[in-house]
Amino acid sequence: MKEVLRTLGLEIGYKGNALMPPIDAALHEGEAVALVGANGSGKTTLFKTLTGNLKPIGGNVELCGKPPAEYTPNERAKRFSLVLTEKPDDLFLRVFDIVAAGRYPHSGLMAKLHDEDYSMIQAKLQIIGIEPLIDRDFVSLSDGEKQKVMIAKALVQDTPIIYMDEPTAFLDYPSKVELMLLIDRLAKEEHKTILYSSHDLELLMKHASTMWVVAKGKPLLSGTPKELDQEIESYLNIHKP
Amino acid sequence: MRNGKFSYLCTVMNERRPTRTWLPTLLILLAGMLLFVLNLIVGSVSVPLSEFWAVVTGGGDETYRTIILEYRLPQAITALFAGIGLSISGLLMQTLFRNPLADPSILGISSGASLGVAIVVLLTGKLSGMAVSAMPGWSTVGVTIAAFAGAFLVLLLILALSSRLKSMVSLILVGIMIAYIAGSVTDVLKFFSQKEDVHTFVIWGFGSFSNVGKSQLGYLAATISLGVILSFLLSKSLNLLLLGDRYAENLGLNLRRASLLTILVSGFLMAVITAFCGPIAFIGLAVPHLARFTYHTSNHFVLTPATAVIGMDLALLCNLIARLPGFDGNLPINSVTALIGAPIVIYVIFHRQKVLSK
Repeated sequence: MKEVLRTLGLEIGYKGNALMPPIDAALHEGEAVALVGANGSGKTTLFKTLTGNLKPIGGNVELCGKPPAEYTPNERAKRFSLVLTEKPDDLFLRVFDIVAAGRYPHSGLMAKLHDEDYSMIQAKLQIIGIEPLIDRDFVSLSDGEKQKVMIAKALVQDTPIIYMDEPTAFLDYPSKVELMLLIDRLAKEEHKTILYSSHDLELLMKHASTMWVVAKGKPLLSGTPKELDQEIESYLNIHKP
Repeated sequence: MRNGKFSYLCTVMNERRPTRTWLPTLLILLAGMLLFVLNLIVGSVSVPLSEFWAVVTGGGDETYRTIILEYRLPQAITALFAGIGLSISGLLMQTLFRNPLADPSILGISSGASLGVAIVVLLTGKLSGMAVSAMPGWSTVGVTIAAFAGAFLVLLLILALSSRLKSMVSLILVGIMIAYIAGSVTDVLKFFSQKEDVHTFVIWGFGSFSNVGKSQLGYLAATISLGVILSFLLSKSLNLLLLGDRYAENLGLNLRRASLLTILVSGFLMAVITAFCGPIAFIGLAVPHLARFTYHTSNHFVLTPATAVIGMDLALLCNLIARLPGFDGNLPINSVTALIGAPIVIYVIFHRQKVLSK
């Protein structure tokens, strides 16, 4: 499996205070990794460091062989895409506009789309199953549909890595499961590397393939739900009565 | 699927759109031409159609010639370009701040222009001991330069501050504070000034499309055209900004550079128009909304030209209403733009609430 991201003795945090011991981890092509941890444990800080928005206080991130900050904005846009909890709220944005924006890093000043771009947009919408939504106003969609549109945008952006910030938040239970399955499918069939954060521990223990678990001051724990089953509760300080 | 690999997309993108785009565009352009002609023939002196045609073809009565070519034509052209520039300037601000109620005055640029004019009109009158308006050297050129200097100084200040401020909301608040400072200095100047000078200043504050002489018209047209072309070239960046800062950045946008360029172009348009026409409210606020509703899009490659042509129509309409016979001369243009613009903005607020609460 091709390695797309590696951290070398990576220390994350603010103002020189490391949140946890140095992290040595890697993400490979076709891998979907769930990032788990309590609020304030450093999930967001880790995301920001991996995307190059925050300088590591020690060690290195290697995104396809180079620290993220050394890419130009447009080169970076072709390495990883984001799916965030915040969503566009402009009243007149249609689904097509948002998904097509995924082609912007690959287009010129006038953002002209070619036949290949259109067929790619079409294909990715089909994979996610939201082709009929193409002409809808984005604000009129349900939370689950909006989430899928943002994922379609990320696929169309055509990056090896997709970072998702709590993609299952605000969804009802069936939609959560559906989204977990979709993430797995995109990793396997579209050969994406997906790192996503989540609070739905029970769901992850059932459906996630690999997990990174973080807690303040403790070394990052990684493995399959099965491997982590014994230690995860004590690691996260979950005490059963 | 009908035929081809992406026929569904083609259906949506290529077949449904043109009717939605070309029919309103045609109507808007026709209305623009009609309004332009009406601007030339309607007024305190009404020009008969036959006489109008004679003037257009190069002949006609000398009085009508003077009225149309010397007074009404420059005024109509000024209204046309100011309408385009103000609307585009407003569109850029609304997209940059992702706030439907942002308009070009939000950064204090028009207040800077007012202060510039106040300094020239009020202070020179005070220092020389006579009303500026009574001075033989008094001219609109002086006011234009003062307004542009004031607006451009505020614009430079905003640009310098925006690189230090992290959020766009902070920038809006700083802009509002700058407007207050400029406003209060203006008030102090007014307080110590002669009545005639204050009157001149107040009249300037009403806004007018009739102060641009034939010789200045070229400058106005050239600078606004430049601003419009630049803002069209910003369309890709603006489309990305609509998605939110973090998505925009992830899609390759250099946020800081895009924000600076947007502020620069919008501020430049605002500074030029305020310098030539005085502070004109509501056109920049209302027109981008009319364009979004008409074309049902937020795509700036459509929205920018749409905003330009609708802005042209609305400014010509406001100028026409301000000059209708019976009003005996010119109504302050700002009272007309507010009467038309404010209801549009109220509608937008209610529509937003309706859509978002669905």
